[in-house]
Amino acid sequence: MESLVANNIRQRPLRALVSIAGVALGVCLVMLFTGLSRGMSNDLQRRSSNLRAEIIFTRPGGMELTTSTANLSTKYADELLKVEGVAQAVPIIRYVFQGGRGFGFEQVEGVDWDAFAAMNEMRLVDGRAPSAVDEIVIDETKARNGNTGVGGSLALFGGKPYRIVGVYAPESGARVKMSLAAMQDALEAPGKCSYILVKTRDGIDPLAVVRRIESQPSTQGNKIQLTRDIITNIEKTIPYLGVFLRALVGLSAVVSGLVVMLAMYTTITERTREIGMLKALGASRGYIVSVIEREAFVISLLGLVAGFAVSFVAGYLINRAYGLLFEYGWRWALVAAAIGVGGGVLGALYPAVRAANLDPVNALAHE
Amino acid sequence: MKTILQAENVEKVYRVGSVDVAALRGVSLDLEEGEFLAIMGPSGCGKSTLLHLLGGLLTPSGGRIVLDGEDMTAASDAKRTDIRRRKIGFVFQRFNLFPTLTAEGNLRLAERIHAGGAGGAGGNNSERRREVLSLLKLEDKMHHKPLELSGGEQQRVALARAIVNRPAIILADEPTGNLDSENSAIVLNMFQEMNYRFNQTIIMITHNPEAAAMCRRIVQMRDGQIVAPNTGLQV
Repeated sequence: MESLVANNIRQRPLRALVSIAGVALGVCLVMLFTGLSRGMSNDLQRRSSNLRAEIIFTRPGGMELTTSTANLSTKYADELLKVEGVAQAVPIIRYVFQGGRGFGFEQVEGVDWDAFAAMNEMRLVDGRAPSAVDEIVIDETKARNGNTGVGGSLALFGGKPYRIVGVYAPESGARVKMSLAAMQDALEAPGKCSYILVKTRDGIDPLAVVRRIESQPSTQGNKIQLTRDIITNIEKTIPYLGVFLRALVGLSAVVSGLVVMLAMYTTITERTREIGMLKALGASRGYIVSVIEREAFVISLLGLVAGFAVSFVAGYLINRAYGLLFEYGWRWALVAAAIGVGGGVLGALYPAVRAANLDPVNALAHE
Repeated sequence: MKTILQAENVEKVYRVGSVDVAALRGVSLDLEEGEFLAIMGPSGCGKSTLLHLLGGLLTPSGGRIVLDGEDMTAASDAKRTDIRRRKIGFVFQRFNLFPTLTAEGNLRLAERIHAGGAGGAGGNNSERRREVLSLLKLEDKMHHKPLELSGGEQQRVALARAIVNRPAIILADEPTGNLDSENSAIVLNMFQEMNYRFNQTIIMITHNPEAAAMCRRIVQMRDGQIVAPNTGLQV
């Protein structure tokens, strides 16, 4: 059946498209930012969960899994090995720097490969462990995404080339690793590390080991945490991420609402006479509001579909270009849907009520 | 004969800045069911204001209007809208069709509004619609949009829209004002046919003496008052 709402939308395709784009923009903002946050967070968590060490030993104030400082003496590893219940203690330097394509961040770890691999049950699937100061190993994902492998090279630390001598699995921590000595050399931090991974002996309660470490005079003044606690708190270690996402959601709702409100406001200005005609036919205020709200709803719905489509395509293309991971969740998708449709419908409410309250005689006389 | 409309001492005062301007000064008018009444008078005499008041588009400053037993003066805006929906059909000089809808779409919209809903089957009265379109010789124009129709055809669609819901009264504001003489004659004949065939009550504002001559009664207005309540053609 012929519909006033559908025909009105078809009558002004450009304005309808702009409105749809406005709603889609709001949806995209929510989907892309939350998808990126979730994707990166889950990726970090996945890689962190492959660590077999139960305890992390670091300086107070360090950000543990995302730290970029090397202010902890490696001598603590020897002290930790003396604690009852400790099987292995492996010092690690983690260095975070801006991504090679100027977008996002990358991490490099300096580790004693043999000890690190033994502790975390990792293996080289190709090549060998790094030994020289310009050698690195990368994980399979890095090799696949970068279309590289043994024999290739990566530019690190301000463009200095590093030779890829091995590819390892499973992914764990930073995707690029070099020897601890090479990293100390590069950062000019001899004898230093960022944190020490501690593996307890089989059958020993890690919490009991933590208490023993805390009671040791030689290790006091440092921070000792269970790995499992850090993994569950990754999202919390990124300052104000939650606040940022909530602010973004609010902003998106405002953008969607304003675009639809402006479009509908223009619509009722243009269609003042038609609103007068509806009133002359005996259309109630509720009917007039419903006509405009239905139009806004259809536009919002189309914007929602477009927003989801663009988000998925953009996420895929950004992943291909920059390696950033997007993971979309139902919860945020529902929030985006609510923002797209809710923002549009609420934005149209003021113009709709204004239209419903127009004086019919003046509206009919409108040129 | 049933009285379909009673207007008693109706007044309308507009406030222009700080000045009150009286558009109607105590107009009284009775209309029997099936009457075809012309209201004539010079521009600015209050014809259109009277029509808008009778149609519930305006509220009077004083007096009383009763349409088919319902007091429109005492009614709220929502109630007057409801009376308009159920009992009044408007025809305007500028046709006032919805440009995005076809002729049939315009009729269906009126039906839907008349049915009191935002859509659905409540307003689907295809038999009546066909009858009206056939009477107004618009069967082959059903799927045309207003801009694809001539002025006369557009006004016939507007007339079809006004009568499709069998209103108690049709209020026509210079329905031939935008038409050439040939199309005016066609439209006026159709008004007359509606009146004769369906006993449709009609009030028509017109400047056109020939149009007024087709009505059963002519009312003359001047300066916001009825100066000749039941005359023949006196122009």
